[in-house]
Amino acid sequence: MTAPPGDRRFPPETGDERATLQGYLDYHRDTLMWKCAGLTADQLRARPLPTTNLSLLGLVRHLADVERSWFRRRLAGEDAPPIFYTQAQPDLDIDPPPDADPDADFAVWRAEVAACDAAVAGRDLDDTFVTRTDTVSLRWLYGHMIEEYARHNGHADLIRQAIDGATGE
Amino acid sequence: MTTSTAPPDTRREPPETGDERAILLGFLDWHRETLRWKCAGLTDEQLRTHSVASSALTLLGLVRHLTEVERWWFLPFLDEEPEPVYFTDDKPNDDLDALDTVPAAEVFDRLAAEVGRIRAAVAPIGLDTEFVRSGKAYSLRWVYLHMIEEYARHNGHADLIREGIDGVTGE
Repeated sequence: MTAPPGDRRFPPETGDERATLQGYLDYHRDTLMWKCAGLTADQLRARPLPTTNLSLLGLVRHLADVERSWFRRRLAGEDAPPIFYTQAQPDLDIDPPPDADPDADFAVWRAEVAACDAAVAGRDLDDTFVTRTDTVSLRWLYGHMIEEYARHNGHADLIRQAIDGATGE
Repeated sequence: MTTSTAPPDTRREPPETGDERAILLGFLDWHRETLRWKCAGLTDEQLRTHSVASSALTLLGLVRHLTEVERWWFLPFLDEEPEPVYFTDDKPNDDLDALDTVPAAEVFDRLAAEVGRIRAAVAPIGLDTEFVRSGKAYSLRWVYLHMIEEYARHNGHADLIREGIDGVTGE
């Protein structure tokens, strides 16, 4: 069984640096949504692999907070505290409570993606910002976000396959 | 399942500032090394185990597959035809599946050799350089990013396979 192809955006094969980076980030954002498509709330909350507690909904919540923390809090300096986790419960993003509402959490993810795209607009890839310990560039951040999404989409591949057998790159 | 200690981590972090080339190569090398790290300290039998029951993927299969992928995308820039190593036209999934054809140690050596050769040969080629396959042009820039996301996605598979084998986790 192969999941429906969805409406993913694909990166340009011969674009300039910025267009190619943005294209790959958007491709993996869309791939995460594709991996979640057509499932019920219970399936999205399910932890179908016996050796890990990862779920598709947990990945969506985690990536919403990853986007927010890097693009808005650190890069843009916005007052954007974590949405899904707290200092006392640092895993509540990726390890959702049983009553987590997928519709609400997907809406949060979509809003963060839009706000993050707004936060990078007008900034140069050579722009740098300071994290707790390091100075990093927006160029590095694009690379990091692409590999972060891609790695979690690898997790999503195996979770989705265990839920209903759907596979696909 | 017993939970083991993670193997020693000698991976080099990508540079946090720097030019386009340095960042791309840094992330690609990080994921090349991450795949090796995910395989470290396991027996041949563990490397061939599909520990996620609903998937046929194995760590050794991923290493064989990435060998093919490195060749498929980088060799055109060296004017070489990427002849398959582990699969055939008749059996296009044998890189992932036919694990008994080559000893594991040779599989790791082959990938290391391919990466070493490709790294050196591609280094002087400009990121805007293109090659054409089936009527479509691809830049070296696109190929670097594709290889990063390809390795990263498969390393996501490797994360869960490794955790299923011996409980070892880690980014």
